[in-house]
Amino acid sequence: MAVYTPAVQRLIDELGKLPGIGPKSAQRIAFYLLRAERVDVLRLADAIRSAKEHVSFCQRCWNVAEGPECEICADPRREAGTICVVEEPRDVVAVERTGSFHGRYHVLQGAISPIAGIGPAQLKVKELLERLQPEAVEEVILCTNPNYEGEATAMYLARQLHERGVRVTRIASGLPVGGDLEYADELTLGRALEGRRPVEG
Amino acid sequence: MHVERLWLSDWRCWEVAELAPSATGITLLTGPNGSGKTNVLEALAWLARRESFRAAPRDVLVREGAPQAIVRGRFDSGGRALLVEAECNVPGRDRVLVNRQPVRHHRELQASFPVSVFTPDDLAVVKGSPSERRAVLDETASSISASFAEARAGLDRVLRQRAILLRQASGRLTAEIEDTLAVWDRQLSRLGEEVAARREALVAALRPAFESAYGRVAGERGSVSLSYTRSWSGELDAALAAHRGEDLRRQVTSVGPHRDELVILHAGKLARSHASQGEQRTLALALRLAAHTLVEEHVGTAPILLLDDVLSELDDYRAAALIEAVPSAQVILAAASPPRLGIDVATTIDVREIGRRLGATQGGGGGAPLVDGGESGTPMCPAAVES
Ligand SMILES: [Zn+2]
Repeated sequence: MAVYTPAVQRLIDELGKLPGIGPKSAQRIAFYLLRAERVDVLRLADAIRSAKEHVSFCQRCWNVAEGPECEICADPRREAGTICVVEEPRDVVAVERTGSFHGRYHVLQGAISPIAGIGPAQLKVKELLERLQPEAVEEVILCTNPNYEGEATAMYLARQLHERGVRVTRIASGLPVGGDLEYADELTLGRALEGRRPVEG
Repeated sequence: MHVERLWLSDWRCWEVAELAPSATGITLLTGPNGSGKTNVLEALAWLARRESFRAAPRDVLVREGAPQAIVRGRFDSGGRALLVEAECNVPGRDRVLVNRQPVRHHRELQASFPVSVFTPDDLAVVKGSPSERRAVLDETASSISASFAEARAGLDRVLRQRAILLRQASGRLTAEIEDTLAVWDRQLSRLGEEVAARREALVAALRPAFESAYGRVAGERGSVSLSYTRSWSGELDAALAAHRGEDLRRQVTSVGPHRDELVILHAGKLARSHASQGEQRTLALALRLAAHTLVEEHVGTAPILLLDDVLSELDDYRAAALIEAVPSAQVILAAASPPRLGIDVATTIDVREIGRRLGATQGGGGGAPLVDGGESGTPMCPAAVES
């Protein structure tokens, strides 16, 4: 097999570290970038740099934010007292699209999965529990993905939250099993939110 | 249900291959040993199940040096044309299209498009470890019900998560491990009870079919029986709790459907250890036949029957009994030599003439086109793949 020049190889290696990109895709993207117009590629590089410099995580809910708090946490019209717990920032977008939730979020930044080396300590669980009192939280809606890892995370959180006297609900099933919230359409996810049910400890 | 035409590209030794089996009766796929006959059957079975019946790892399925393997089949399902196309990507996920529409959950496909595979290795179903026998049950139940396949896949996932958690715990039960173990155990109990109950129901349904298949193949009404034994008694969650200490210490899950056993008795004794090799072969064949019949009853169409060189293992009587037992199925038989007298072959296909093989010394057709004219459209576009 032919060896690439060091700069090309470095590009392939870096691309190959991205989620869902295998070595072959990394090569394909690398050569696409090398063939593309210089200004287009530099615009991409700039977008990456600027996002990394200006975007961080909300100190309250761990959603993406440009500043100490995200737009949702900073919005005074959002109802305090209800928190919707999701796995990833992209799930915030999915729930927002339904238009049927007016409280705040908490982004765990993952789900319990021993295979991926993720336990409760690697997630923003402690941070969630610390919000309960100061924000006078009455209800927590567990909106983790409808797969086994999401379910495990929801069960784990339900127990922790019950111990602290918070009302815990889970989005209604009816979402495809093994799926991601991201792929649920707005109507289905909206219905799932409205049909949420209390979770037993 | 039958396959009208099958195309392979970059599948194992095949660069390209194309064949059109007979819609009814036996299609004999012939050629010397090592000419790729089994690979063709394997590709067809993989299209239905997305697993190799030879338990081969995924990466060997793709021809060396090729980016992906593609298997396409055009089927007739009770008059409805079904074009099933699947890409095996290594690394990466498979991609499946049915009539050009992407399929997200292939398990739904398996239940609508069953295949039965008989191989010389079937002896292991009787002689081998309990996992071989559980695999026959799970394969059969998955062909009948997509929701079983779903639960079975979930069980696998949860067992793997639990196994890794036990390893990470390395014997110590901290509060965090205890709370995390509890959530996996709740899911394991639910899925485990479901899988075991459905396997038990399947065994009850298989039992009469197994006894009659055995009678037909063995030519005698021998006393055979099938039963399912769980690895726990009572509720699974209670059993898991009772074994928690042991599981932590040994870092394995000691109870659950992955420890259950399908017991095959022959003349009142365990067939695994007490039957002769010839009897074991007959029992394995009877079990496969029983499963084939049951799937046909439930799905309403006979599974496509793939026989990988099995007739040569059987005496004339048993070989004929096998063929008679599956009157409505499309049969594809791979064999180095034609079957013995008394078995009618509808079509004979020389495997050396269906396409181009890796390392094949110029023989036969030298590469049939992957696509048969405009009839079935263009092959899947590799550039469109991303998962
Ligand atoms: Zn926020």
